[in-house]
Amino acid sequence: MKKDIVIAGVGGQGNLFASNVLSQFAINKGFEVLGTETIGAAQRGGSVVSHIRISDMPVFSPLIPRGSADVLIGMEGLELLRNMGMLNEGGYYILNLYFVPTVYSNLGIDSYPSKDEIISAAKRTGRNGYEIEATHKAAELGSTQMTNVVLLGALAKLDGFFEFESMRDLVKLLSPQKFQEKNMLGFENGYKLI
Amino acid sequence: MEKKYIMGNAAIARGAAESGVKVAAGYPGTPATEILEGFVEYPGIHAEWSCNEKVALEVALGASLDNVRAIAVMKHNGTNVSTDILMHLNYTGVAGGLVLISADDPGGLSSQNEEDSRILVHTYANLPVLDPCSAAEAKAMVKEAFELSEQTQMCFVIRPVMRVCHSRSLIEFEDYDPARFTGGKWRDDRERYIMSAVEVRELGGIKRPQARHRWLNNKYSELMALGEDSPFNSIEEGEGDIGLVGCGIGYTYIKEAATRFSKRYPILKLGTLPIPEKKALAFMKDKKEIIVFEEIEPVVENLLKQLCQENGLSVKIHGRSGFYPSDGELTVRMVLEAIKKANRELKVDDFNSTEVDIEVPVRTRTQCIGCAHRALLYNIKRVARAKKGIVFGDIGCHDAGSFKPMELQSTIYCMGSSIPMATGAFFAGESKPVFSMVGDSTLFHLGINGLINAAYQKSNQVVILGDNSTTAMTGFQPHAGSGVNLYDEIVPKVDLDKLGEAIGVRVYRIDPYDLKTTYETLKKAAEEEGVTLVIASKPCFLMASRQEVELFKPLEVKVDEEKCNGCMICINDFGCPALVYEKHQKKVHIDSLSCVKCGLCAEICKRGAIG
Repeated sequence: MKKDIVIAGVGGQGNLFASNVLSQFAINKGFEVLGTETIGAAQRGGSVVSHIRISDMPVFSPLIPRGSADVLIGMEGLELLRNMGMLNEGGYYILNLYFVPTVYSNLGIDSYPSKDEIISAAKRTGRNGYEIEATHKAAELGSTQMTNVVLLGALAKLDGFFEFESMRDLVKLLSPQKFQEKNMLGFENGYKLI
Repeated sequence: MEKKYIMGNAAIARGAAESGVKVAAGYPGTPATEILEGFVEYPGIHAEWSCNEKVALEVALGASLDNVRAIAVMKHNGTNVSTDILMHLNYTGVAGGLVLISADDPGGLSSQNEEDSRILVHTYANLPVLDPCSAAEAKAMVKEAFELSEQTQMCFVIRPVMRVCHSRSLIEFEDYDPARFTGGKWRDDRERYIMSAVEVRELGGIKRPQARHRWLNNKYSELMALGEDSPFNSIEEGEGDIGLVGCGIGYTYIKEAATRFSKRYPILKLGTLPIPEKKALAFMKDKKEIIVFEEIEPVVENLLKQLCQENGLSVKIHGRSGFYPSDGELTVRMVLEAIKKANRELKVDDFNSTEVDIEVPVRTRTQCIGCAHRALLYNIKRVARAKKGIVFGDIGCHDAGSFKPMELQSTIYCMGSSIPMATGAFFAGESKPVFSMVGDSTLFHLGINGLINAAYQKSNQVVILGDNSTTAMTGFQPHAGSGVNLYDEIVPKVDLDKLGEAIGVRVYRIDPYDLKTTYETLKKAAEEEGVTLVIASKPCFLMASRQEVELFKPLEVKVDEEKCNGCMICINDFGCPALVYEKHQKKVHIDSLSCVKCGLCAEICKRGAIG
């Protein structure tokens, strides 16, 4: 059994928290877990990518090789596309329908693809995928900061590996106290979004 | 034994704490920053954010000579800054165990270059280096390094790469005993600690630098012998006459690649410099070809070539020198391709990667939404444009003002380079006015020397200090101007106005959110003779929001589509990511989900379309 997960987004979307919940979940189940993330420039609108490797065999490299990820969570449209090549043939993706223009697209130097272009480009790779409005749901629940927990809820619904109850408990456990209730609510709503 | 899922950097700190380290000093820099922060939770350790890496290494050395264990923590560029003391402590040796962590960033993911610090600390300074392949090994290496440092009297260097520092894995926690933190005890050893050109009587009157150089050279064979038995070097048997050498993280990529083919190649895993020559020779003697995987220069590759030449071995040695890419971070794919190149018959279960068939625009970083630097950069740009000035930039979040859309700063080099470079351009006879921009943490790091020099040489420039009261770029580490230390204790705070006055420059103070006054002040400063220091103070917005400190009254703004004519001033000159240009309507709109309501764009819009 192995599950290689990539979470791709932009700075400030709570990528690291989501990665921690998934890692801790797998550790609690007794799996080997190795993860990494690109941080540093992340707080300033750059791309942020987390790699989480879960396996019942020893894992060596913290980086998931391109073409071998089982799950790709795209917290932002363009960042999903940038990482589509990470998925293996049987892998699937969850696309959050939220789009952050780039500096170059704003300037008209690059063209930011439309929502439909993003959805269809992802589909053309032949991988299975799901689109959800996690950020909009989070905003509806009170804060876009909850995008990550909404996506985790959706993942728990889609993937039998991630059990609803224990994931929800972890979301609570790992959240700062004042966000615990809100984050659990976000998680439950994500579960219902699929 | 307790196990915790932690970052590689936290594992390194834990290893040092378990070793009984007493003093830890460093300067923030990705990927090393969290190591020093990790010491805060251990009572009995003095940890500090020093003003710069040279100071940090000197603090650590002073503690070591006082017979306690000490550690200095920095990134590769920082190790460059510490070179001067490094090139002396290698000759003197140490007393209490001294470990230097020099973290590298192959690929330059968060750095100005992707240099390999093994060349500086090993090839140049002749110090032993341990190169970990994982966080668990990094922790074990820290503990071993303290022991060996005391045994050999040498400073040991650990060179973790970004993927080790930022990896997360389950790490075993061994005993941590605060009782080990006994106080230091100074013992004079002038023969070693006085590095001056004095004659050594016992060695026929040669000068002390030569005597200590001789001592250092003699250490090499001792270190090599240690490497032969080191747990960090090992041979894994395999089939065939092609051997793979994995140095540090390179070993993990080989192991990962090996899951994609059935052939079992012999592997030499190396974690120490100097390399264990006997072990390396034993590995190479029956091989035809060797491929070395290392980050990022061909250091071990060249040492193996030298070893073969000295021992008459005709094995071909490949690696970073051109067999596979000589730049950029190693990947499993790179390793697979290199092995396939050496063995064309090898059947590889290749990765099946399908990329999207449309172009994916790059995402460059910029200032955060709400950041005071953006407001400041906007006004510097207005003044510099009006005066046709040249702006010399420095390291920090504000350096993104040099990218599109602003393209304000003409140079970004290393810490503190902005002011002296502006001084140089001025004395070169540059007809345009020169500006320099520096951050507060950078000013205390090395920038201050450039400022003193600019005043002393009577240069003519406007120095803009973007003072956000923290080291924001690396995640809010306090500095000498913050008023607090690593432990959040109240400490003396450098008074910037008095500092400017003492140096002899004209000082103006502005609030960068006050666009009008900032513009007028910068304009006035640009028209005056001599050096003017414009201090633009406002805390980092991100830090303030985390501390729930309000920096401005929230102002809900939207774009009046009737008034917006798509002139792009707000996008080109200000460039807040919450402003989105709709190319079809040729209008700007505000992304309400990301806008933080600073209201600055409303002031910037020339047509009054935002409000």
